Amino acid sequence: MMQLTHPVAAARSRAAHRKTFETIFWYVILIGIAVITAFPFVWVFFTSFKGPTDAIYSVSPQLLPQAPTLANYERVWNQLPVANFFLNSVIVATATVGLNLLITSLAAYPFAKMKFRGRDAIFYLLLATFIVPPQLAYIPGFVLAVNVFKYYDSLLALIFPSLATVFNIFLLRQAFKTVPNDLIDAGRIDGASELRIWWSILLPVVKPSLATAAIITFVNQWNDFFWPSLMLHTRSNMTLQVGLVALQGMFASDARGVAAGVVITVVPIILFFIVLQRQFVRGLTGAVKG
Amino acid sequence: MPRKFSLTPYLFLAPALILIGVFVLYPIVAVVYYSFTDYDIVTPPVWVGLGNYERLFRDPIFWRALLHSFIYLLVTPTLIVLGILLAIVVNRRLRGINAFRALYYIPVISGSIAVGIAWRLMLDTNGLLNSLLISMGLLQKPVQWLAEPSLTLPIAMLLTIWMGLGYYMMIFLAGLQNIPDELYDAALIDGCNHFQKHWHVSLPGLRPQITFVAVISSLAALEVFNEVFILTGGLGGILNSGVTLVFYLWRQAFRLQHAGYASAIAMVLLVITLIFSIVNIRRLERGTEAE
Repeated sequence: MMQLTHPVAAARSRAAHRKTFETIFWYVILIGIAVITAFPFVWVFFTSFKGPTDAIYSVSPQLLPQAPTLANYERVWNQLPVANFFLNSVIVATATVGLNLLITSLAAYPFAKMKFRGRDAIFYLLLATFIVPPQLAYIPGFVLAVNVFKYYDSLLALIFPSLATVFNIFLLRQAFKTVPNDLIDAGRIDGASELRIWWSILLPVVKPSLATAAIITFVNQWNDFFWPSLMLHTRSNMTLQVGLVALQGMFASDARGVAAGVVITVVPIILFFIVLQRQFVRGLTGAVKG
Repeated sequence: MPRKFSLTPYLFLAPALILIGVFVLYPIVAVVYYSFTDYDIVTPPVWVGLGNYERLFRDPIFWRALLHSFIYLLVTPTLIVLGILLAIVVNRRLRGINAFRALYYIPVISGSIAVGIAWRLMLDTNGLLNSLLISMGLLQKPVQWLAEPSLTLPIAMLLTIWMGLGYYMMIFLAGLQNIPDELYDAALIDGCNHFQKHWHVSLPGLRPQITFVAVISSLAALEVFNEVFILTGGLGGILNSGVTLVFYLWRQAFRLQHAGYASAIAMVLLVITLIFSIVNIRRLERGTEAE
């Protein structure tokens, strides 16, 4: 006997089918895009473990190494001061972040919470410098580095010019503006100095914005290449990015070695991103609203 | 409230203003001066008046670089369209959607040097792309992708787009999530299909993000260097096929020690970025007035 289906139930199951179909459709799209964005990394990762018998170029293409080896990493490690590269990148990025946040948050406080002559004029002047291409400043910057500050070929040359960024002043000014004036007035009545108010009242309240500014500054410094490549010439003074280009020159006919170098450079920053993913997203979203 | 002059705000500002003065404002003034001189960085600059600008005017490579930089601006509309499409794709509640968003973001944080070198390895004559295409029967013999002048610029632009897309996706995603659901419901009641829904609701709602992305990505396109540097091995491509304004500036200043001439190129770059920013900001102001 034929089973009679209730019309509502039939419609419901049709809708459910449609829903499953839609879900599958979106996953197919999502995976397809993921292949495009992730594939070069996956390929370089596997290539860096390929031995001399594993082909880079072959018909048909070979992705996985048949005889995985660490020899490429050893070769890179033995011929270049990779540990120095890494350490230099860490030093430059962390020193810049720490000092930059102190200096920019100091500057952001009066812009957000004080009235003084020339405040708007100075602020708009700073905003206008946003438009200036950084490469323009590198020509006089080079002259300053060689003739005035004498920090050519040292890490100081990377840290100093990055200590006051207009973007961070702007970001932290927005954050300070949201702090209630009552909080600051209470501090003043207690007889706290402005420096004390900045340090013990304002900074703790805007921790999320500080984290955002810290992450953006860190990644920018870590990945910077143009200026570091002008300043750093001694191998042991290079950062990872500059060192990677040096490696690429040395290992011109050694794709496996270059791949190992790419992996060494990229893995730390990807791990950094995975750990701090949430803050990354908040930082981006805030940047547009700000 | 009685207001008396206080030094405090200026003291708070001093460290930042001194640094910005030295590393941003002074260089602008210095570049203007250098652009009127013959300067090799080692010996003191020699005044040549408009000499560098006259030379610029007659320099075919400069005109090529200028043209290339304008062509490069095509990445901006591409990034806006693809960024919005991708944001619409990832703006749905699905299991694991955050992992996908993160995956799409990885090219952004990996740094253009490492990513550029990875691309170089794949595009090499003995690289992956040739083995793939030949295996699929689409090519008979390997193509020298990186040595083909007509491909230098398109490949660099493709790299810029591939690297930047995740960043712009996140910005548009944040914009989409700010659009109230009621607007979409109203659109559906009015009989809009899915495409019309995005056309009539998402696009107008994303206006601030579109302007922001237009400003940021066109400045980045005008200032492109790393992609060209890596893909051409620092040479600018065969017959200068990949030379952009900033690449030419770099070559003149730091390879050939023509800092005066490079400063004139920098002035052209500055004027172009100024015009671009003013146009974009005007558009932004008009957009807010309309609302």
